[in-house]
Amino acid sequence: MSKTLFFSEAGLTRLLEAVKASEVYAAVRRERGPEYCHLQKVPEAEVALREPRPSASPKAFLQPARERVAVYTNEGFDAEASCPVCEDRALVGLRACDLAAIAYLDKVFREGDFKDPFYEARRENELLISVDCVGVHENCFCTAVGGRPFAESGFDLNITPLRAGYLVDVGTDKGQAVVDQVADAASEPTGEQLKEREEARQKSVDQVEGQAGGLRVTDRIQKLLLSKQDSNELSEMATRCVECSACTFICPTCHCFYLYDQVGGEENFERIRTWDSCIMGDYSRMAGPAGAKPTPRPSLRNRCANRLLHKYAFSPQQYGMLGCTGCGRCIEACYGEIDIREVLRELSGDTSG
Amino acid sequence: MTQAVEANPYAPQVARLSRVIDETPTIKTFCFDLEQPLEFRAGQFVQLGVPGLGEAPFTPSSSPLDPAHLEVTVLKTGGVTDRLHRMAEGEVCTLRGPYGKGYPVEKLVGRDVVVVGGGVGLAPLRALIHVLLSMTDRLNKVVIKNGARESAELLFRRQYQEWASHDKVTFEMTIDNPEPGWDGHVGVVTTILDGLPGEVSVPNAYAFSCGPEVMLRFVTFTLLEKGFKPEQIYLSMNRRMSCGIGKCGRCNIGPYYLCKDGPDMCYAQIKDYPNVF
Repeated sequence: MSKTLFFSEAGLTRLLEAVKASEVYAAVRRERGPEYCHLQKVPEAEVALREPRPSASPKAFLQPARERVAVYTNEGFDAEASCPVCEDRALVGLRACDLAAIAYLDKVFREGDFKDPFYEARRENELLISVDCVGVHENCFCTAVGGRPFAESGFDLNITPLRAGYLVDVGTDKGQAVVDQVADAASEPTGEQLKEREEARQKSVDQVEGQAGGLRVTDRIQKLLLSKQDSNELSEMATRCVECSACTFICPTCHCFYLYDQVGGEENFERIRTWDSCIMGDYSRMAGPAGAKPTPRPSLRNRCANRLLHKYAFSPQQYGMLGCTGCGRCIEACYGEIDIREVLRELSGDTSG
Repeated sequence: MTQAVEANPYAPQVARLSRVIDETPTIKTFCFDLEQPLEFRAGQFVQLGVPGLGEAPFTPSSSPLDPAHLEVTVLKTGGVTDRLHRMAEGEVCTLRGPYGKGYPVEKLVGRDVVVVGGGVGLAPLRALIHVLLSMTDRLNKVVIKNGARESAELLFRRQYQEWASHDKVTFEMTIDNPEPGWDGHVGVVTTILDGLPGEVSVPNAYAFSCGPEVMLRFVTFTLLEKGFKPEQIYLSMNRRMSCGIGKCGRCNIGPYYLCKDGPDMCYAQIKDYPNVF
């Protein structure tokens, strides 16, 4: 199901106002650049539709940095207090890379023998509205990992900004229901508008491909990664890494977490989930006497390699897709100025870019 | 276990300790008489914890054939295990599971089975031994080898004689540091693997080992040297785990999550990935 409609500037404003959800998260214009925000908390903000992707991913809205996942007492587990509670919600202004990340997180949390009920509850009542990247960030390299700077699936609605007005693709019945509320604002797109979209999309593709410098993550790079775990390129990466974990927290697909228990109230205990990072030295540290090998990845180089391998070599085996969407957020987040594109390029022996 | 607990894999049930057994100066066994039996396959693990403090993964040491009586054998070696070791009959623990795949027992019919334990590593292997002893009529041979630092640390010593009394079963043990009067074998556990090619038919055998990582490494190399293929070697790769269900990320070897795909892994599957030992 994909139907394309045209909305004027005012029509699109009405369309976005028709998105009625208890919680609306949107990419909005902020002083420092576009940012994903809880829209009801910044009602004056304008949705950012023509800017590059926000510097933080929307992952925190799907898997909060910290949340309570269970309550129990000495008598047993408190089923009511441990239930995920989630209102209907909408995510507005997602970029194609963010949709790709959600597809990845869906595989992690919604598939397999055990499903994550908290993630599941958020995703179940969720409306996804994506937008084409007419603005491309200088670190974007989605085309190198099989992505495009626009989405063709995975959304309820997708918006393409034109010079005047917008094209809106309807992906699902849920999206159609929103459009139906402002049916009078929609019209059939003209051939010219559709042509403008093709040209705009191609322009963005060319721009991303240009700045990705011919980089493509292929099977060859994946094999090289597995064989070059101790190579100088990885050592170089590790010497620049300051172990801050910014890359993992900013990454839209990184999803590692840690569970810990604490005393909640009188005779009441809570189990809390927090984000965790494989870059940290004690991430996999095991119990044991001093002198025993406490972690399988004692050196930073091991941990940097594991992160790279997970993204580009292990994820395809685990989930049938790369663990990198090419959003480039880790590049601007890194205090050590590690550019993942350079690391991949050097590993593959291609320094032309 | 209610529906809701099943739907929330992070939520523990609580279980009251029915008995605590002092096994060695550093190892205790925690016994639970469960109202709702916890059905598990030998090698699957549970998350056992102290309310308000946290949990850690342990493979039960009791028989999967008696799921109402769960026993977990624990070495005192960190925050959770220190607290567990101070707990007594009647106190409450948290429990989740079972998780993981368990040993591929169905592969063993008609085979020779080698079980190599080291220290507290014999605990998960005891669950396997219980199953093996129940099916000796369908096995060719069971060879159990166990090692410990010193004689006081020989786990489940009270049961060795009973195990060895079964038809087709042999048992051998060794310690690293003998005390005066010890007349048994002395040396690390690999030193009692030398005779394996005569004891079992190597091409027809599977080996299972659990123990400290350094021991697993040398057991693996010794078995390979004796003619075992990587496909015939299963190792308990117990690592730090948190969720137990393949989501939290920390227990990976290559693309495998030990909590989901293990914790006992066929050496052939993991050998080419980084940081195995």
